[in-house]
Amino acid sequence: MELVFLLICGGVAVIASLLVIFARSTLHSALWMVLSFFMIAVVYVLLQAQFLAMLQVIVYAGAIMMFIIYAIMMLNLRQESRQKTGARISKIIGVGSLIVLFLELMLVSLGNNLTPIPGPVSEKLVATYGRMAVISNFLFSDYLLPFEVVSILLTAGVVGAVVLAKRER
Amino acid sequence: MLEYMTILIIKALVAFTVSLLIVAYSTWIERKVLGHVQLRHGPRRVGFHGLLQPIADGIKGFFKEELVPDNADKPLFLLAPVISIAAAVALIVIVPFGDKVTIMGHEITLYLTDLDVGVLFVLGISTIGAYGGILGGWSSGNKYGVIGGLRGAAQMISYELSMALAVIAVVMVSGSLSLIDIVNAQTGLWNIVKQPFAFVLFIICGLAEINRTPFDMPEAEAELACGFNVEYSSMKFALFFMAEYCHMFVFSALVTTFFLGGWHGPIIDGPHWFFLKTFLVIFFCVWERSTFPRLRYDQIMSFGWKILLPFGLLNILLTGLWMIVFNM
Repeated sequence: MELVFLLICGGVAVIASLLVIFARSTLHSALWMVLSFFMIAVVYVLLQAQFLAMLQVIVYAGAIMMFIIYAIMMLNLRQESRQKTGARISKIIGVGSLIVLFLELMLVSLGNNLTPIPGPVSEKLVATYGRMAVISNFLFSDYLLPFEVVSILLTAGVVGAVVLAKRER
Repeated sequence: MLEYMTILIIKALVAFTVSLLIVAYSTWIERKVLGHVQLRHGPRRVGFHGLLQPIADGIKGFFKEELVPDNADKPLFLLAPVISIAAAVALIVIVPFGDKVTIMGHEITLYLTDLDVGVLFVLGISTIGAYGGILGGWSSGNKYGVIGGLRGAAQMISYELSMALAVIAVVMVSGSLSLIDIVNAQTGLWNIVKQPFAFVLFIICGLAEINRTPFDMPEAEAELACGFNVEYSSMKFALFFMAEYCHMFVFSALVTTFFLGGWHGPIIDGPHWFFLKTFLVIFFCVWERSTFPRLRYDQIMSFGWKILLPFGLLNILLTGLWMIVFNM
């Protein structure tokens, strides 16, 4: 049952990601991206990571994509004409590196016997404390430093954006 | 297993039917209350004091002509109302109508699901619902629609942050993200007493999120001729309309859950209290609509970012200090 859901949602996510690239209008691309993010959130739910799934929906599918769609509407990119980029060398490099990456992935996954490594969040912990409590305990004890560093980084990003926006006036 | 599934399906059907009936009749409440506030009668032709008006409106909606503008983005134009109503109805899943009851020997919980991350679910799905209005405005290929959609997007992003901050303070005093635990933590003392500032903040931001009157920028009739749904007709318009009232019901239910003690109350039992409080909040929504004029757009944005957001952060800080000092 879960496998069926996983295959459907994963499949839709992959197709949606492809359509992000191939869609004609910019807004449609953005919307396919929303669908892709949403489907990845469903995959998270199937992996028992509800918290992550909800954050995926709120932050990526909600806030960030909303900003992108807002920008698209503001700039009024209704029907963007596809420009033909003449540089053939970039195409060759792109396709070439894609093939190399794909081959590497194939070699690694075929050559080694891949076994999953269990993380610190176990079924037993979740059953006794609940998912949220387990995650927040790890976040505010073992991983406190990375958590704080990331928040400082994000604050710096916001301040930088404000400075850049102010300078233009 | 079969018994469990049957109970679940019956519960879902009952919950959605009751909620959608409330949604239909909140349009009646709105028209009636607005009418009496303005010294009119409101609808009273169809049924006793217009009680069948929502049903008549629904039937009328089905028989109206469907129009799709020539320069509309057709798939998006059809998809937008669906997103709107689907997200609004999905929110009913987490509404806690009451505690456990025993019916015919089965212990039944009066809520559909107790999500571990219920609060986040509310925030996430309501953002997804906001796409409906924005895409509806954009795809109809009408300048008023586009401006309504743009305003909707900006307003949603701005006020959702402050709303999340208000909810975080509630989560801090309750110690859980599950709506059921939040209600249970309010036995004896309601959160409106513990968190009066968060209550005010949540009401203001919630009204902005459900696009009600001091904040109904996306569809300001006077300047945008109805805004994002200007090109919609027939059932597609009715879906937007239903989504709006569904949001109002969910918002009222959430205010009840977060601040007014959910199903707790003396003498009469749980669900009655829940619906009583919810209807009071719905009445409040209508009342304030007839009281306040619409704000100007730049006022709304600067109010959201410069007053509500710092206010919400300060409230969280004070709540944290309070909890440390009094060791709660």
